[in-house]
Amino acid sequence: MQGTLMDHFGQTQIMDRMSRHGSKIAKVVMQPGQDLFARVGSMIAYEGLIDFNPQPPQLRRMASSWATGEGVPLMTAVGQGLLYLADYGKEVIVVQLAGEGLSVNGKNILAFDATLQWGIERVRGVSMLSGMGMFNVVIRGHGWVAMTSKGNPVMLDTREAPTFVDTDALVAYTDGLQVQPRRTARLGGLIGRGSGEAFQLGFSGQGFVVVQPSEDERPNFSVRG
Amino acid sequence: MVQQFSRGQKSQLSAVTPGTDLYIGIALNAPGLTWDVSCFGLDANDKLSDDRYFIFFNQPKSPEESVQLLGEQAGDTQSFRVTLEKVPASIHKLAFCAAIDGAGAASGISSGYFRIVVGGSEVMRYAFTGADFTSERAVMICDLYRKGVWRVSAVGQGFAGGLAELIRSFGGDVEDEPAPPLAPAASTGFGPPLGATQTFAPPPAPVATGPAYSKPSPSQVPPSQVSPPSVPSASAPAYAQPVAPPAAPVPVQPPGYGQPQPGYGQQQPGYGQQASGGYGPAEVLPSQAQPVQPGAMNSLSPYREVPTAGRWTQQNGKLVKVTLGQGPDVLALRGSMVAYQGDVDFDYKSAGLRGMLENKLTGQGLKLMTCKGRGEVFLAHDAGDLHIVELNGQSLCISTRNILAFDSTLHTEVKRIESPGIPGGGLFHFEVSGQGSIVVMTKGAPMTLNVAGPTFADMNALVAWTSGMRVSVSTQVRISRQIYAGSSGESLALQFMGFQGHFVVVQPYEV
Repeated sequence: MQGTLMDHFGQTQIMDRMSRHGSKIAKVVMQPGQDLFARVGSMIAYEGLIDFNPQPPQLRRMASSWATGEGVPLMTAVGQGLLYLADYGKEVIVVQLAGEGLSVNGKNILAFDATLQWGIERVRGVSMLSGMGMFNVVIRGHGWVAMTSKGNPVMLDTREAPTFVDTDALVAYTDGLQVQPRRTARLGGLIGRGSGEAFQLGFSGQGFVVVQPSEDERPNFSVRG
Repeated sequence: MVQQFSRGQKSQLSAVTPGTDLYIGIALNAPGLTWDVSCFGLDANDKLSDDRYFIFFNQPKSPEESVQLLGEQAGDTQSFRVTLEKVPASIHKLAFCAAIDGAGAASGISSGYFRIVVGGSEVMRYAFTGADFTSERAVMICDLYRKGVWRVSAVGQGFAGGLAELIRSFGGDVEDEPAPPLAPAASTGFGPPLGATQTFAPPPAPVATGPAYSKPSPSQVPPSQVSPPSVPSASAPAYAQPVAPPAAPVPVQPPGYGQPQPGYGQQQPGYGQQASGGYGPAEVLPSQAQPVQPGAMNSLSPYREVPTAGRWTQQNGKLVKVTLGQGPDVLALRGSMVAYQGDVDFDYKSAGLRGMLENKLTGQGLKLMTCKGRGEVFLAHDAGDLHIVELNGQSLCISTRNILAFDSTLHTEVKRIESPGIPGGGLFHFEVSGQGSIVVMTKGAPMTLNVAGPTFADMNALVAWTSGMRVSVSTQVRISRQIYAGSSGESLALQFMGFQGHFVVVQPYEV
């Protein structure tokens, strides 16, 4: 048999703990002792022996914050082999952290090493303004993180200039940036006919912001699988 | 009908012609230049593993006569006859190339074409000019290649060296001068010849012909040059990765051409790679994966902001950056701002009373906002593909659902195509004209069809078209949707009639 399916989309060489297969599939090399947190339902295939546990004890302590609505339903993956993850055809971004901290939007987290320090935080100010909560997963340490982005993302350097981001388009930002909610619409704009751009988050400091080209308004399938 | 190919375009040959007995004509009009036109029969690794399939003036036909050189005729500088079913299975590609004999540059081509004629009528033509090239001395014009079925690809790549370098790049070897008869050929056949730059070591004696087999010069007997299949595989790595070997004879090759991935997203500057690389790392094939660099900033560097180039900059296929400060404000779809840097205000844009009326009437109201101030604004909407169109005073008709943003200097107007066949009595659209740019949003990679004959487009997939064409509703062509139960069945095709320069854009998604 011959064709592009066989020529170009076949298995690729193992490079690192995490890599991308094409632009929309994350490939994770699983080893004993290197557990992974992955989004529930994101597994599309695996090779080898991998166990999934959708309600691991490590996550229970966080259960209360998820109960409030938009959260990060995660599962643990343990075992040995190759694990392929994807989230509804979104682009996958793989990041290798070297000690930095990254705050990832709960909708955009795909997987991360269980050895990383992590926690869930509510993004300050957002809920007060727009009425919807926004949870981020803050990850810090040395290891690998996979995020998703609806469409090709852009990384904006906040050192150049303060950067304002539509909260619906925010994917991730360096932990430790100054976050300042900003309302651009005048008060009159809030009633009836606004510009559609009433609230943004302003970021400034040493770091970057990753933005996706979509205002993901629809609620994600927060519980799946 | 003649299919006009443009540079980089590919197609299945069956879409061009059902025939397999092809006349191929190549014309090169270049004052003062003499051309050697040749055809390389390459194997699966893009190597000339069998010299007998290098068809040129000294070897006018392949052994089983599947490729024959016919000479100058009918306005063609050189012509070939190719009988595809006779081409042996080991030959995967027929590359048609032309090289300048003597001094000169390919930019001197005033006009040229590659055409396929079947049964006396021309079916395909790829025209090119010297503007496509610079100082190259050879041109790879067109490929016929096998990928499941035979396909044709308008390559149009210049090549810095002359014919000798071209042959070397395909894995052949050349003596600088037509060799004195047999004796030298026998001696050079076993080791790297003096003039060659190949670096791999001379093979052990049992490999009879070695890597440096010679081009047949007139007096040589081709069968003695037949190389075993092991030879190309030995030499293949050196060509397969043009960056790796220190002195492989292909360093001047255009990037991507020699890579052994026949044509999928590589050599063709296909959609997503064309605009000066600005589309970013989106369409990565799994086979081209790159390792991720350590460090968050480094890992994310493929997504770095692209440098501003003018007022509108394409960040990637789905994101557009507009730089505000000088020039007019920008009108953008409400809610399409994803990020900005600087001091920018977003205001509700009233369309005015007349606009409101039109809105009510047509349902084509644009929900816009004004972006003003100073800074850079990133615009996107629902991960749709974005395309910046500079109008330059011309006018474009566009369906409202495909507008993302435009300069406020542009003039917009609601227009209507009347037909009793359309529900509501007519098709409303926007005509945009003036000086400035408009960002067109499509779902999926669109297709731009030149209107040279009657062209039909589904109303629901139609994105934009040049104004000035005669547009009518086609009642005969009822293609889509009606076969499905439950649909209203009222999907209509529009027929466009226009002259040179008019085009229609459709998207692969019917709203």
